Order: sequence, then structure tokens, then C-alpha cells
Amino acid sequence: MATTPEVKIARLLRIGRADEIGEGQSRGFDPHESGEDTMFVVRQGGVLQAWRNACPHIDGAPMAWRKDAYLNADGSRIVCHAHGAEFLPDSGICVQGPCVGKKLTAVPIIVDRRGELLVKEE
Amino acid sequence: MKIVGLDSLIFGVDDVPGAARFLIDYGLTPVDVSDAGGRFEAIDGTSVVIAREDNPRLPVPPAPGCRLRKTMMGVADGATLQAIAAELRRDREVRVLPDGSIESIDDSNFVIGFRTTVRRPFALPGEISNAPGSVIFRPVNSLGVPPPGTVIRPRSLSHVVYFVPDVLKAEAFYVNRLGFRCTDRFTSTGPFLQPAGSLDHHTHFLIGAPPHMHGVEHFTFHFGGPSEMITNGYRFVEKGYQAFWGPGRHILGSNWFWYFNSPFACHIEMDADMDLHDASWAPREAALSADASQTFLLKMRKKWAPGPGIHENGDYA
Ligand code: FES
Repeated sequence: MATTPEVKIARLLRIGRADEIGEGQSRGFDPHESGEDTMFVVRQGGVLQAWRNACPHIDGAPMAWRKDAYLNADGSRIVCHAHGAEFLPDSGICVQGPCVGKKLTAVPIIVDRRGELLVKEE
Repeated sequence: MKIVGLDSLIFGVDDVPGAARFLIDYGLTPVDVSDAGGRFEAIDGTSVVIAREDNPRLPVPPAPGCRLRKTMMGVADGATLQAIAAELRRDREVRVLPDGSIESIDDSNFVIGFRTTVRRPFALPGEISNAPGSVIFRPVNSLGVPPPGTVIRPRSLSHVVYFVPDVLKAEAFYVNRLGFRCTDRFTSTGPFLQPAGSLDHHTHFLIGAPPHMHGVEHFTFHFGGPSEMITNGYRFVEKGYQAFWGPGRHILGSNWFWYFNSPFACHIEMDADMDLHDASWAPREAALSADASQTFLLKMRKKWAPGPGIHENGDYA
């Protein structure tokens, strides 16, 4: 008997509005309702970039010091506030601290025509 | 060398208002604080001091990226201060500062200071529990849970943990030059160190680490007991601060712990109920592992209550 091949269609989850994240700001999200923010979005030079909230120094370590606080004071670096690792916001590469040369894990995000910020359901 | 413990930790930060709010929410009391920084005190007067990282009066950090600029230790009396100055002058510069404290450097490049301790004696009961079979310590009709809204304040600066590039050299400095004692040790990681004027299991813990990690792992204050520590930690999380590890209870030192990320490029801990030891204590040695570090580790979740109105898939389903 023929079976219907299973087609997995990724659903998109809305996590917020793109215009809620200003230049040089960051914001954490918990799209899969795990109880803590598993990813964060940073806007630099007008471009939004999303990363897993998981420091490469201690695999999976949460990075903010306070809800949404992933950046240094002038917004120029992503910082892991566990031991101070600093990452370039465009490439996610660690340039200072205990995991120099390692990289944050990017999370694909989509901004739709209405300005909604979307991520793929896992 | 009657060093009684840590008196103050001085940090250089890029966001003074943010760091100040963090320390106040942790429970410390701001004293002489402005936009340029200031002091944040525990009940006994021990403190964290912050200043803008570009403040030229701050000592240099031991390594790039480390925000701790100075560790100030308290000593029992002027004679101890003299003795430390004489000992350190044998092979390094010791500066006498206008406030009468002395400043030098340890063998891992951390700037260290000494002064007659600022610790103020105070009397406050610690947490006591009721247990069948035990004599009654908490009197009949006295409540274990503090009334809602009770202000919880850290009591005393407890310990600091350094990442050092050469742990044997670092330990030798504190033991041979400053009279510290090793109370326990994690094999190939490093020693817990107690100064001669304290009974606390440790005021310093040294972790051997590669040079690029040189700096601080964490620092912490003592709270009045596990209920205070956990209540304070819970409030901290509810304010949006990021827990890193805990709450739990360590094995070496027995202290309850809860670690948080911080704006100081290191963790900050809340601790309670640390073991006390005297010179008759024989140091233990253990291989560092998750199992050797904590007797238990709890997982934080939001408050809920059994009964009507809870989510059908909740814990009480
Ligand atoms: S866990 Fe991120 S710097 Fe250590």
C-alpha cells in the first residue's frame, strides 16, 4: 500500500517586532517557551542579527547580566557576562576573553513585510 | 599575619549606573555614590567599590578584560600592617596611601591592598532550624519564615576566586608570604585558602587557568542563612538578573550557593552557612567534578501553587 511521504513544513514563529530593537540594542527571546531566553537579537548598523544565548566558553552558558543586556555599554560588542568574553556583533567571533577565536551560533531570522520578527519552529 | 578577610573589591566598569543598580538590587547599600562610582556596603562595612574603567586613579588590572582592579584585605591591627609591609618590601614595592593603607602586587599581578579592617561588629541571629531529636534552638512560637517584605542584606564580604596562570606560584605567595592556610584542595585545579585571622573555610580560591583566562571567576557575600540567600536570589531573578548556577550547596566549605552573571566580567555569588575551620583541620583533596562540587543543585522555576486555577499541564496535573 502506498504511503503518503511525510513532508515537514517548518512553521515560523513570531517573536516580536523588528522596530522594537533600536540601533546598538539587544533583546532576548524564548520562542520555544523553555522558561529562559534561548536566543537574542542585536541591531548594528541597521542590520538585525540573531544568536543563540549560549557562550562557546562553557557550552550553552547564558550570556546576559540582566534581561536583554547582551552588549557592552557603548553597544559595540556582544559580551558574555559570565567571564567577560567579548564578541564582534556582525561575525559573532570572540575577540577578547576565555574563548578567543570561537564563534557564537547564528539563528536564522526573518523580518516579514509588516516588520514582524520570525524564527523557524524547531 | 592576622589578616581577617576581604575588606573591599574595587572594580572598573563601563556602565556605572547599570553596575550600581545591580549591586543595590543584590542587597548592598550605596554609600558616597555618584555618576563616577562609589561604595556599596554590606552590614559589616565590607564593600564593593566601582569606578569608571577609564578613571586614571584605578590600579591596572592583572590582565586585559579583568575588571577587578584591586583586592583590599582587612587586618587586625597596625602591627600586622607593618609586618606585611616589611615582608613584601623584601622583593617588591609597597606604597603607603594617604588613607594609611598599603598597596602592592601579588605573584599573579593582582593589585592587593591592606588596611586595619573596617569590619564593624554587629549582632544578628543566623538562620536556625527545628529538627526532631535536636534541642530546640528556634523558640516555640517564633516563625521560620521572615515576614513578607523583609529587607535582606548581605552581611559580610566572603570570598574571591582568581584564575591564575601559575597556581603553585600563586598559592606559595599567599601561604609563605601572607600566612594563609590551605583548608581543602581540588587536585590540579587549586587550593581554598584561609587567612590566619579568619575561621571561614576560604576567603580566596585559586584556579589554575590558561593565561587568556587570567582574572576573576567570582566573588560573593555571606547571607544570614539558606532562606535569606534563596529568597534574595529569587527576588534577583524576578528583577531580570541572569542566574548561572544554583541554587545548590557546595561540598568543600558546605556553603549554599547561587551564582549570577554580572557587569563585572565575572560571576557574583550569594552564599550562606560556610564551614568554619581552625588550625587543627586537616585539608582534604578531591578531584574536581560536578559530583565533587555540589551536594545538590536545584532548578529554578516560576512560583506556582497547587489548587484551582493552575495550568492543566502544570506540575500539579
Ligand atoms: S561562559 Fe561565557 S565567558 Fe565564560
